[in-house]
Amino acid sequence: MIGLILFVSLLGFSYGRTGLTWPERFVNDAVGTVQEALYRPVGAVSDFFRDLGRLSDVYEENEQLRQTVARYTQDKIRYNMIENENKRLQDELHFTERQKQLYDYRYLIAQVIASSSNPYDKTIKINLGSNDGIKPKMAVTTVDGLVGLVSTVSEFTSTVTPISELDSASADAISIAATVLGREDQSFGIVDYDKENKVLQMSKIDENDQVVEGDLIVTSGLGNVLPKGLIIGTVISNQVGDFGLTHTATIEPAAKFDHLNEVFVVVTSDVDAP
Amino acid sequence: MRMNRTILITLLLLLVQTSILPWLIPSGWSDRLLPHLPFVMTVFVALFGGRYKAFFFGLGFGLLEDILFYGELLGTYGFSLALIGYLIGLVGERKSHLLSFMLLAIGLGSLIMDSIVYFVYQLFKLTGDSYLFALYWQIVPTMLLHVAIALLLYLPARRKLSKPGSGEEKSAT
Repeated sequence: MIGLILFVSLLGFSYGRTGLTWPERFVNDAVGTVQEALYRPVGAVSDFFRDLGRLSDVYEENEQLRQTVARYTQDKIRYNMIENENKRLQDELHFTERQKQLYDYRYLIAQVIASSSNPYDKTIKINLGSNDGIKPKMAVTTVDGLVGLVSTVSEFTSTVTPISELDSASADAISIAATVLGREDQSFGIVDYDKENKVLQMSKIDENDQVVEGDLIVTSGLGNVLPKGLIIGTVISNQVGDFGLTHTATIEPAAKFDHLNEVFVVVTSDVDAP
Repeated sequence: MRMNRTILITLLLLLVQTSILPWLIPSGWSDRLLPHLPFVMTVFVALFGGRYKAFFFGLGFGLLEDILFYGELLGTYGFSLALIGYLIGLVGERKSHLLSFMLLAIGLGSLIMDSIVYFVYQLFKLTGDSYLFALYWQIVPTMLLHVAIALLLYLPARRKLSKPGSGEEKSAT
């Protein structure tokens, strides 16, 4: 009975806490070192066998990549031109230092070292911690798209909550402000995860807003939780929402949440710090 | 029961569970099959070593797992593993060490553990799934996997971890 009371109070106490005490950080880091030594080789072997299975697709993929690189080079030239133009305009309009650095993101490469087996609280661990400048609520992406948010940080490892845990029905919901790539100033919606159908949902879309199948959804950067322009997924369908006033789109997530190997932590330049 | 050796092996198994098993489970099943190797070991400890050892063993490893993967709450696995270790130890004291009883203990224990975890998350409104969905989606597949893992580990565990002769003494009393 006393045990039950103790545990309920421990559960209640630990709920909604973001900091970690030193024993927790120590245990995390100590085990994290060994986990890293195990996870990476096994991942490499597993990837090797998967690649063997896909060997026949390599030529086709190579062809596609060549085309992409050609397009990328053209875009890069255009981008450089536009960036220079943008800088000149910012100077002429007397942008403050803070405004200039607002969208200057750094991507830190992190290795995944373990993943949990708690079905209602899936987390993954990465091998970067507060020593590398990781802070809670930073966005984590793969090359495909947004994976999750950093939840807790210890010295050498940190824990990432995938966006598949951001269930709007639960009390700890974090909503992602999202928009359509190419129409950033016209579209807006809130993205959360639908667990039973394994898709993301973008709700509160204006009814005049034409979100159609195949649109690429990216983070909008509004609300200042997540950086701007991280890929979330593509729209599968769009229908009228619960109350008939707004639309709700179903989105196929761009990133996969299992068998992760390398992720990127997006570090925003810390302009708000004193 | 050789506790030092058991604890060492369970630590290794925990590392295997967190770092190797995610790669072995096919990607479509990764949120349905969620094995807990410390849970399997807790049941073994309860059967070979008695309820008090199993209680503290489950408590320790449950809390370790909670701390390592601290998402929302701390202590769900600490609580459920300790409870299950104690209960199975209590029931198992009078039974002989039959394979069928071990399988029953693993199966029921797995159901109870995942249900406790589900209801704790339900209580704190952290999950919106219905219990039937959780049962079908995750609890039953995981239980079957636990039974399979326990079958694999049972013979080596009995040979290496229980002290020679202790099993016979217990079944005789």
